[in-house]
Amino acid sequence: MRRSIGIAAGLLSFALLASPAAAQGKSELTVALSSFSTEVLDPVLGGHVVKYYMSLMFDYLVGVTPDGQLSKDAGLATRWEPSADHRRWTFYLRKGARFHTGEEVTSEDVKFSLQRAIGKRSTTGYAGPLRTLIGDIETPASDRLVIVTKEPTLIIPTYLSRSLSTEGMILPKKYIDANGDDVFAQKPVGSGPYRFVEQVTGSHIKLAAVDNHWRIGVPRYKTVTFKLVPEETTRIALLRRGEVDITDVSRERVKELERESFPIHFRRDEAVLTMWWILPRDGQPTKDKRVREALNLAVDRNEIAQSIFAGHADPAYVPLGLSWSYRDIGFKVTPEMPYPYDPARARKLLADAGFAGGFPLTVHAYQLPGLPEGKAFAEAMAGYWQKLGIQPKLIPVDYPAFRKTWFDRTVPGAMGYYNVANRDWIGTYAFLEKQAYTKSKASDTVNDPEIDGMIEQVMRQTDKEKIATLMRNVYTRLRGEHYGVPVVYLHSPYAASKTLGRWNPGTVMYDFFIDELASSKR
Amino acid sequence: MARFVFTRLVQSLAALAILSVVVFILARATGDPLHLILPMSASEEDYANARRYLGLDRPYVEQYLSFVGRALTGDFGTSLRARRPVGELIAQRLPNSLRLGAFAMTVSLLLAFPLGVLAAVWKGTGIDRAAQVIAVLGQSLPTFWVAIVLIEVVAGRLQWLPAGGIAGFASYILPGFTLGWFVVAGMMRLLRSGMLEVLDSEYVKLARVKGVVESRVVWVHALKNALIPVVTFAGIYFSILVTTAIVVETVFAWPGLGRLAYEAISSRDFPVIQAVVLTTAAIVAVVNLSVDCVYAFIDPRIRYGR
Repeated sequence: MRRSIGIAAGLLSFALLASPAAAQGKSELTVALSSFSTEVLDPVLGGHVVKYYMSLMFDYLVGVTPDGQLSKDAGLATRWEPSADHRRWTFYLRKGARFHTGEEVTSEDVKFSLQRAIGKRSTTGYAGPLRTLIGDIETPASDRLVIVTKEPTLIIPTYLSRSLSTEGMILPKKYIDANGDDVFAQKPVGSGPYRFVEQVTGSHIKLAAVDNHWRIGVPRYKTVTFKLVPEETTRIALLRRGEVDITDVSRERVKELERESFPIHFRRDEAVLTMWWILPRDGQPTKDKRVREALNLAVDRNEIAQSIFAGHADPAYVPLGLSWSYRDIGFKVTPEMPYPYDPARARKLLADAGFAGGFPLTVHAYQLPGLPEGKAFAEAMAGYWQKLGIQPKLIPVDYPAFRKTWFDRTVPGAMGYYNVANRDWIGTYAFLEKQAYTKSKASDTVNDPEIDGMIEQVMRQTDKEKIATLMRNVYTRLRGEHYGVPVVYLHSPYAASKTLGRWNPGTVMYDFFIDELASSKR
Repeated sequence: MARFVFTRLVQSLAALAILSVVVFILARATGDPLHLILPMSASEEDYANARRYLGLDRPYVEQYLSFVGRALTGDFGTSLRARRPVGELIAQRLPNSLRLGAFAMTVSLLLAFPLGVLAAVWKGTGIDRAAQVIAVLGQSLPTFWVAIVLIEVVAGRLQWLPAGGIAGFASYILPGFTLGWFVVAGMMRLLRSGMLEVLDSEYVKLARVKGVVESRVVWVHALKNALIPVVTFAGIYFSILVTTAIVVETVFAWPGLGRLAYEAISSRDFPVIQAVVLTTAAIVAVVNLSVDCVYAFIDPRIRYGR
């Protein structure tokens, strides 16, 4: 009996020790995510998907507001200006910004960081285009930097801003010179509002606040911890126990959490789910525009949004159409753009194109980060096309295997898809330059000389309105020629603890703007 | 004994050498890791740069010899995904897996011993049937499902225990139980059948005739001799617990070797895959060897190499 009491007391003490109150102090913010991507700590080894935690450790040369607009208050550069020929961009640096080592941030650090970002070690998303574009970097003063470009351009500030990838993050030259790349990659030093404390790979990354920072004032949270928790049930249990404050959840669990009064923050239109055909089109039924249109008309996008994505999605109508850029370039979805669900017309178009009896169509099916519904989605799409008489063949693969097939073009005409992260106009341009531009070869899915010509003009164009017109025209042609099957815009839910308070996760890709949540300035 | 140990060591090293070739080939057969490391916007030049930087542009034979040469000095190279020394990643994760494995083993021993012994002693009764049910459930319920249910109910709803991660002793209970339950089943059955055989033996009958207390007959005289198959089983299962806890470690967000293996396979991280497999194989070899040695102490009739 005494032993039983002892065991019961022991279990009770475990339970008490593990209780939320003991686990979490009020000055800590914990974010649980299903994936950290590569988990790297060095910006040049990362890319977009490590911005969640890195944007707290590092400052960008050019800051942005939570809705992605360039801001002179949010980055190390307080102003920037081009020369008359748009080949020399001068950036004026903020005075008094310091790295976590105590050293002041100077133009030498910025030059070093940019050279590192476009160096051979870099695997970031836009190292290639920047390498092509940047001719030289000058440092006429410790608070002034000039970037000399090989071509006239407007896009340098945006490329080096928080709205895109990690190339614009500024690193401490002296620290890296003294300790080497490998030490920096394990014990990074930045100048952001939070400094690196520890990383246990596969478990968590812990950051601690600096005393005061120009971006957020005195940080509201003393520590911010990013926990890697792949299983959703576990993340939700952690939320219920009060052990995490923010976590990504699937669309199907939203109602359940709302019933329990957990605030759900949506990043609306966080990604566009779009399908495409592997090139080349020669010899394929999809060479015929009518076939491409028929495949679009056969899909009931509203039904997919409701049944596959639990209503947390909206129909999409422009192939590769990243809607966060629409505002920047003044693109409007006109009434004739939405694809109606019209199987009868789709059948007629197929018959007109000589495919009344259908044709075999390979559809790859795979899950993706942020798209647990991937395989169900692929099955649904194949189902719609089957109703037209097409003979879809579902190939279950993992994404890397599909990507190899896509890049190697081993199965022309086969279909794949991706939940492409939404982004502003420059991010969209960079995306189109890879996926809708013939010269990018492997990754191109469009192969249209007219679009190629417009994309080539964007990089060299220095008139903002002309850039906007070019981008609008690219979208109009992508839609007019049905270069892909845009399906839905996905709204991504993030559940928060009941005590978190107001939080605007913003509309910058792969960035939660936690620094705004942690700010004492708000 | 020394000759036996030496022979087994040589066999283990040969197995590791063969395994290193197999895993080297199979890891590369799964695809190009650069498709995962590099962003979609990466150009062919970026691919070439990364391939050169990571040493993937060299001929396979050269890559293998370089890997083996470094591995012999304890250097397994650098993770393609995390860009950190593989040895460091394994050093960070292995202790977590060993601790969880040891905890799960303790749980399973604490449950299997009384259940196995009682099921044998009370053969055919309700206790025996209950133990059988526990055994069948342990082996038939998928670990993934057990883990999810425990997290949902015990951690999420009742909030008695942590849901995941390593945060003190309490965080070991749910993953330890999930892992251990599967082992309980097999161990309990082995112990039950061993005990049934021993309880029917002449020396046990003699002990009873001599008036030895029944509890002493069961727990001392009989149990000791029923342990040999259980020890073999426990040794093998400990290595399995440590090295194949991929599902449990993933569900419970446990940063162990299993999770590392899962992450490495998902991202085609060759150096990590190779290192994890070889480390795993080494653990299995060491545990098996240790089990063989323990035999001699449990049963003096066993003499190796004679």
